[in-house]
Amino acid sequence: MKTKLTLAIIASLVTTALYAFDPPPVGSAAPDFSLTDAKGAAHSLSQYKGKYVVLEWFNPECPFVKKHYGSGNMQKLQQQYTDKGVVWLTIDSNAPGTEGNITPDQAQKIMASWKTKQTALLLDPESKVARSYGAKNTPNMVVINPEGKIAYEGAIDSKATPNPADIPNSTNYVKVALDESLEGKPVTTSTTKPYGCSVKYR
Amino acid sequence: MELGVRLAAHVIVCLSIFAFASQGQSQTHEGKQLVKAELLADTTTVVPGKPFTAGLLLRMAPGWHTYWKFSGDAGLPTEVKWKLPKGWKIGEIQWPIPQKTIDPGDIQTYGYQDEVLLMQEITPPATIDNSSVKLSADAIWLVCEKICIPGSANLELELPRSTTGAPANTEKFARYRRFLPHDWPGAKVAAVNWKRGRSDLRLSVKSATLANYPNVDFYPLPQGDTVVGHPRLESRSGNEMVFRVPLESASKDLSSIQGLVVFAQDADGNERAAWQIPTSAIASVESATPIPARGIFTFLLFGFLGGVILNLMPCVLPVISLKIFGFIQHAGQSRQKILRSGIAFAGGIFAWFIGLALLLIALKAAGREITWGGFQFTNPYFVLALSVIVLVFALNLFGVFEISLPQSATRGVLGWTGAQGDVGSFFQGVFATVLATPCTAPFLGTALGFAFTQSPAIILSIFFAIAAGMSAPYLLLCAQPAWLRFLPKPGPWMVHMKQFMGFLLLATLLFLLYVLGAQRGLEGAIWASCFLLMIGVVCWMKGAFVLPTASVAKRSVVLVLMLVIVLASGIYFIGGKFHSTNIASANSQLHGDWQAFTPERLKTELEQGHSVFVDFTAAWCLTCKFNEANVLESGAVREAFQRHAIVKLKADWTNGDPVITKLLQQFGRPGVPLYVLYRGKSEEPIVFPELLTKSIILDKLETISRTVASQ
Repeated sequence: MKTKLTLAIIASLVTTALYAFDPPPVGSAAPDFSLTDAKGAAHSLSQYKGKYVVLEWFNPECPFVKKHYGSGNMQKLQQQYTDKGVVWLTIDSNAPGTEGNITPDQAQKIMASWKTKQTALLLDPESKVARSYGAKNTPNMVVINPEGKIAYEGAIDSKATPNPADIPNSTNYVKVALDESLEGKPVTTSTTKPYGCSVKYR
Repeated sequence: MELGVRLAAHVIVCLSIFAFASQGQSQTHEGKQLVKAELLADTTTVVPGKPFTAGLLLRMAPGWHTYWKFSGDAGLPTEVKWKLPKGWKIGEIQWPIPQKTIDPGDIQTYGYQDEVLLMQEITPPATIDNSSVKLSADAIWLVCEKICIPGSANLELELPRSTTGAPANTEKFARYRRFLPHDWPGAKVAAVNWKRGRSDLRLSVKSATLANYPNVDFYPLPQGDTVVGHPRLESRSGNEMVFRVPLESASKDLSSIQGLVVFAQDADGNERAAWQIPTSAIASVESATPIPARGIFTFLLFGFLGGVILNLMPCVLPVISLKIFGFIQHAGQSRQKILRSGIAFAGGIFAWFIGLALLLIALKAAGREITWGGFQFTNPYFVLALSVIVLVFALNLFGVFEISLPQSATRGVLGWTGAQGDVGSFFQGVFATVLATPCTAPFLGTALGFAFTQSPAIILSIFFAIAAGMSAPYLLLCAQPAWLRFLPKPGPWMVHMKQFMGFLLLATLLFLLYVLGAQRGLEGAIWASCFLLMIGVVCWMKGAFVLPTASVAKRSVVLVLMLVIVLASGIYFIGGKFHSTNIASANSQLHGDWQAFTPERLKTELEQGHSVFVDFTAAWCLTCKFNEANVLESGAVREAFQRHAIVKLKADWTNGDPVITKLLQQFGRPGVPLYVLYRGKSEEPIVFPELLTKSIILDKLETISRTVASQ
């Protein structure tokens, strides 16, 4: 535990302190966090240790997010992998007063009307978690392995467009990373350039 | 005259809007017009075979922007897909220099405010059948203010065919042509140099022209799967400026990227210009300067040279002298025997290094954090085992005991301590390399650092190169046994020589005990010595009583007794006493103005705006000791550190502290020594070479204080 903590300090020291806002590199320890979800329940990353965890940065106003929810693509992924025991945490890190910031009530409404299937939709109005992960986009995807290390970070898929028609012809990097991980294989594409709207920091 | 031209141009512009430009299309969002898109041509007519320029004009509502070819952290580049009749050709989009925007959260994007014209050269075929041509294009863009809205349009442009053409939309085209980046002006005006680091690229531009511009920036154009962070002007002095481009994901052989060097008198003024980094320069970087690329062959060469140098290391010297001694003995023997012995010795060297490589590969595969010395000299039991071996060898040289007959079963186990036979030569080869490990020669460090991050095949070949380098001198002597004749003739002096070399081994033993002391304190070293004493007694028993002339019964009793002593003292002194000694505290080595390194300490010092020098060291690291005694503790260097108010931290890796192991890996180093100067929170740390000199340290400190002063 102590070693883990020191390692986390080292990682944050070398990566965050020296190059603020650069995402922690793949293979490094995923920064821990604790956030409340739309229903007010607390979730921390450390409580899911031992499981695969997907982080998905969210903004209901963003056309790139709408591309994946409007088409049902995101819900399908969430369903498919939460069924396999993967923890799927959707995070809204947009600051209050910016586009995409949502209240717990709004979050619950969106979850109901969009029929989302994630483990929880977490609210990060201070953008703290987004900062610690260097998340710049919605959607920005991170896959964390059971050891708490980052296995994949970047785009959801290979076609950087807001057009849902491109989904069938694109490679879903998150799906590939999860499938490879679940089969015990190393992730072949572990870092990509995320695409989408910017996370609205304050 | 000028009025006339202007008037004519104006008329043409009006005409073109009426007749030669497409009908524009608007993108609206919640009743507000965000983008107006239309196609323009720089000519009133199409002349068969004569190229002209057409472009997509996007007019954005105030505050809204569309994106450059590389959009940055968010956004998407605008796409234009022309649908041209057969035989027509179209060039690449000519992207004007974009504006760089930094939003909260350090989100950097490259785009266009208000208006942009994306031009492309169109070449019609030599013959056109119709009297007028209809060119169409599909445009897709993303327009953002606080939110982003995707937009698209299917646009048309109709132009009559003619034998002569008059310019159209001249003002617009002239304006956007002026905003296009220029080709690189050539090495004489501006010299480009790229340097690849582990996770970044450094672009150095030397130009007297650019020196006149207060604002110079680098806009990257990463290709393919390359993911870059934010480029930053790292240093600027005189004519040279250096940009650091962090690489978040890039292939190992990426040595440069495309991009623009943008310069202006004011940060956002219209009078901006840019030079496009030439692709030829990108290609030539790789061929011109192979060192930054650090190709595999460079590392194999380093490995080989490092292996040769290992022979000169003080900790290998005793074994080497022994081997030379062996050659002298063999000098009178047949050439075949000498060759066999030499090959066996080389085989031992190869076996050790390849074994080491396989172990490294296996452990790496198992995800363990291991390094060159990490699983050897940081482990006190490894050091202890080595001490036993060295002691036994020394006593053998003193003549306390002799190695049993070759056919004896013990030979397989203990035979390697003997100085005769091929098996002996083989194990001497192994032994020589085991002893070489603490002397990580500078070359070797580079090669191993590289090997550590590589594929199994490359690790194997680098270790192979090291082994080849180390055994090369012996193989050479064996292939040319004639040269052995230059060596002195055997005689009684050899006995003295042999005994004297025993003392060299005892000196090595002292060093090992010093390491044990640093790892487990004085108590640990004493308990280890007790065990060594018993080993010495056992060796004496072997020499005194286990003689070929003695009866089998007597020999068996003594052998059993020897075994009992080794086991009992091992259990008591090592399993009990030594094992329970505490790991010596890292502070035990601190003296003078050095302070113990912790990551927290480093962070705090940097946050307080101090510069910090970190000495990664270990008790068993001879290079470290040398650097400390001759450079870091020398008067001039101490004084310079004091004058520049640099905080000195010592990171002690004697016991293989995993936190320090991790940091060493961050710097691509397999072990100590490592010397790093952190200049502040946001500055890239400076890494010094493994072998320090006073001038390296003093020069670097001077340049740093100069840059600080000039800022």
